[in-house]
Amino acid sequence: MKRVMAFVLAAALSSAASAAVDPRTVPTKLEPAWQAKTRELFKQAIEIPSVHNRGEMPRMAKLLGDQFRAAGIPEADIHVMPYEALPGDKTVALIVRWRSPHATKKPMLVLGHMDVVEAKRSDWKYDPFVFREEGGYFLGRGTSDMKNGDVATTMAAVKLMSQGFKPNRDIIFFYSGDEETNGRGATLGASEWRNLTEAEFGLNADGGCGAYDHDFRPLGCGISTAEKTFQTYFFSTHNPGGHSSRPRPDNAIYDLADALKALQAHRFTPMLNDTTRGYFAERAKQEGNNALGQAMRRWLANPADGQAADEIEANPLEVGLTRTRCVATMLEGGHADNALPQSAKATVNCRIFPGVQPKDVQAELQQLAGPKVTVTPDPNYIGEPTPPSPLRPDVLKAVTAAIQAIHGPQMHVTPIMSTGASDGSFFRAKGIPVYDVDGSWGISPDDERAHGLDERLPVRAMYDDVVHWQMIFRSLAG
Amino acid sequence: MRIALALLTATTFAAPAVAAAPALTPAQRDATHAMFEHVINTPTVIGRHNVPAMTRYVADQFKAAGFPEADIHVMTYHTESATTGEDDTAALIFRWRAAGTPKAKPIMLMGHMDVVEAKIEDSTTDPFKLVERDGYYYGRGTTDMKDGIVGITQALINLKAAGFKPKRDIVVLFTGDEETNGIGARKGATEWLDLLGHPEYGLNADGGGGNFNPDGSPAGYTMQSAEKTYAGYTLTVRNRGGHSSKPRKDNAIYGLMHALEKLEAYRFTPMMGPTTRAYFQGREKQEKGPLGDAMRRWLANPDDGEAADFIESAESEVGLTRTRCIPVRLFAGHADNALPQLATAMVNCRIFPGVDPNDIKAELERIVANPEVVVTRNDDSVSSLGSPLRPDVTNAYTRAIQTLHPGMPVFPEMSTGATDGRPFRVAGIPIYGTNGSWVVTPIDLRAHGKDERLPVQALYDNVVHWELMLRDLAGK
Repeated sequence: MKRVMAFVLAAALSSAASAAVDPRTVPTKLEPAWQAKTRELFKQAIEIPSVHNRGEMPRMAKLLGDQFRAAGIPEADIHVMPYEALPGDKTVALIVRWRSPHATKKPMLVLGHMDVVEAKRSDWKYDPFVFREEGGYFLGRGTSDMKNGDVATTMAAVKLMSQGFKPNRDIIFFYSGDEETNGRGATLGASEWRNLTEAEFGLNADGGCGAYDHDFRPLGCGISTAEKTFQTYFFSTHNPGGHSSRPRPDNAIYDLADALKALQAHRFTPMLNDTTRGYFAERAKQEGNNALGQAMRRWLANPADGQAADEIEANPLEVGLTRTRCVATMLEGGHADNALPQSAKATVNCRIFPGVQPKDVQAELQQLAGPKVTVTPDPNYIGEPTPPSPLRPDVLKAVTAAIQAIHGPQMHVTPIMSTGASDGSFFRAKGIPVYDVDGSWGISPDDERAHGLDERLPVRAMYDDVVHWQMIFRSLAG
Repeated sequence: MRIALALLTATTFAAPAVAAAPALTPAQRDATHAMFEHVINTPTVIGRHNVPAMTRYVADQFKAAGFPEADIHVMTYHTESATTGEDDTAALIFRWRAAGTPKAKPIMLMGHMDVVEAKIEDSTTDPFKLVERDGYYYGRGTTDMKDGIVGITQALINLKAAGFKPKRDIVVLFTGDEETNGIGARKGATEWLDLLGHPEYGLNADGGGGNFNPDGSPAGYTMQSAEKTYAGYTLTVRNRGGHSSKPRKDNAIYGLMHALEKLEAYRFTPMMGPTTRAYFQGREKQEKGPLGDAMRRWLANPDDGEAADFIESAESEVGLTRTRCIPVRLFAGHADNALPQLATAMVNCRIFPGVDPNDIKAELERIVANPEVVVTRNDDSVSSLGSPLRPDVTNAYTRAIQTLHPGMPVFPEMSTGATDGRPFRVAGIPIYGTNGSWVVTPIDLRAHGKDERLPVQALYDNVVHWELMLRDLAGK
């Protein structure tokens, strides 16, 4: 459930008239020998199809665990934690503690997940589980969500260890095995396994923060300090059914179609909070006097100006930032080709504005779906609204320094609200502030393919991310 | 895919028909019940691998009745398609040879042993456990069509025990995949035709049947002599998808839903054929009110589309005036947190006899009117043909019906469902749906649906019905 790459803050778009360089062609600062090691680990990780229910997570955990082991982390500090994501769906989490010989600060947690969303060979141009490099990109399921982050955090630690770096606080690496489905690993990590994960704060490697637009202008890097609540609902219809040669006037599939049409037309009430207000204030400056910039200013001046909020929401860069959004993601219906459907079900995935209760969203959905449709929350995952994490100056400073060392001073760093949910929410809910600070980047919106088809990552972004995490570890634990 | 029984409202019959008709002996009744319970409790759904066991069971019934083993054949075969899944299934072929030189080519008795899926969570009681309650037998297959399998089998056993000697061969073909792929029937009409003795015509228990009104008055029996063409289509919408936290304006599911709404609103052009003309000519005599008026107007002027629409909207006449297409299954998406890359709907069409299924594909494309919704065919069905109304069959059927149910009207019928009869019709062997079961309409019309059921008495009447028909058609 990773957040989408947060393409934010088009830094001084109007003034950046100078011919921008394609960031994909700029050489990375990672040394060639480490590029080769990184590429090899990335390839191995992508080629493990760690989709839920396939039983592949132990291989992923072993692959990452072996890197730490080889770098000198003692066996006693490498924990493979078996658990069930759902009854019968066996998976594992990996917890590695890189101990400080002379700790002066409380531990720091680094979060990631090893699982990926399902990818069907028939939907993709190439086999999603065969690693490819092509046209300046790495391709494959998980290249951007988020085996890149797993590889970058692991490789940065391995590299620092090889250089003799000794952290002044323990760095705990926590890689879960069901973030994309149930988040059970993160729930356990924030509760039952807390003795292994207790930390002052967490840094989440799930999702790169930086982006460039088509003209290669830096759009900025967003550190999420608030996130929308993830909740899936089911729209169900039932009907006595019967033989398909004798259609009834009422039909479970048509009833569902009516409700989904209503859902498509529905707009939740626009909302603002401190994080998004700050974000839109920055964005309005950058957009200047264009229509989007004007809409942002109108909305900030008058939060009741729904038309302005709608205009903002309609912009591809701002989708999901002005309100709760719900979208139909799956359908199933019927039981035989020659029978009228007795039931039909749509999966509706919602990203709820922070502070809004999932129960209230359910009531609103039920209202629009009408009496022929039953709206229920997915019992396997009940979303819990989480408080925003207060932004720490040390984290902001470390991330800004790393980002600007890689991308130059034009890449601004700003707090944002994440529209996706991540493992971070479980830790936030249990008192450990978490910041999403991965250093990957891409071209927005072309490279935003997490969960979708032909997922990819610029080659340079993979290598930059190792440099990024190396700098962050040095800064926050050195 | 048994036809859903056409329900007819007979206003002319005020009192329930009380039959002083032949009945089964208590021992025959017990044997019928035991056989019915055994076959209902065998879930012969595709993919559950149970049809061969049921086939051997039915074969054993014939053997136990003293028929020679050499004339009883369990024909195992494979059935499979992209949309239905696969199974190793079986057909039963049995031949009761005439005493002496046959008077004519064989009569074939047909049925299918497989049933449509039934999910326990969609049902009130376990659909694969026969339950008797309130005068009904409940269970998947009670009306479609293990009642017919048991009716034919028990009738032949009873006739043999009674010393009946057929004057022409009677052959039985019970198939194992009628509800899905119909491969058994296609084999029957081709590679097994020698074994079946090239029958003159077939009587299909997966067709015909009768209806009573809730007040007990007889509504009518139908004899199926034409059937609509069954054809499946898939509507597919693709999208690049993405992360569900960032909904796109275009969405494969919404695109598909808009296409289905257009399909819901669409009406195919009304049509009339020889069988439906005869049917409506019989029906209009029963209907004195607005429905009868519409039938009379449409018979007088086949271009009166408004009259045809009125008829089609009557629950008793659904599917009889035109081609109908309906969505039956939906699949979309690959994860709850990802925008769908693929959304598909399977649309089931029942095409008026004589209309080419390829033309319906083109019509569906015009209906959805969106090049992003791709229409494909799921099968290679060809358009079906009607069977000529033979006086010998019509009379034998009518006599059997009216012996059991005096005063019961009988109509020719176009089945809106498809049956195993189609490949035989295409091969020039006429097929007539002549089952003798009955239900109360419309409350018992549950084939393929929830809580399928058959009145208890209908099961036993059907055995007698087949005995009467066979004495008439094969005994003279």
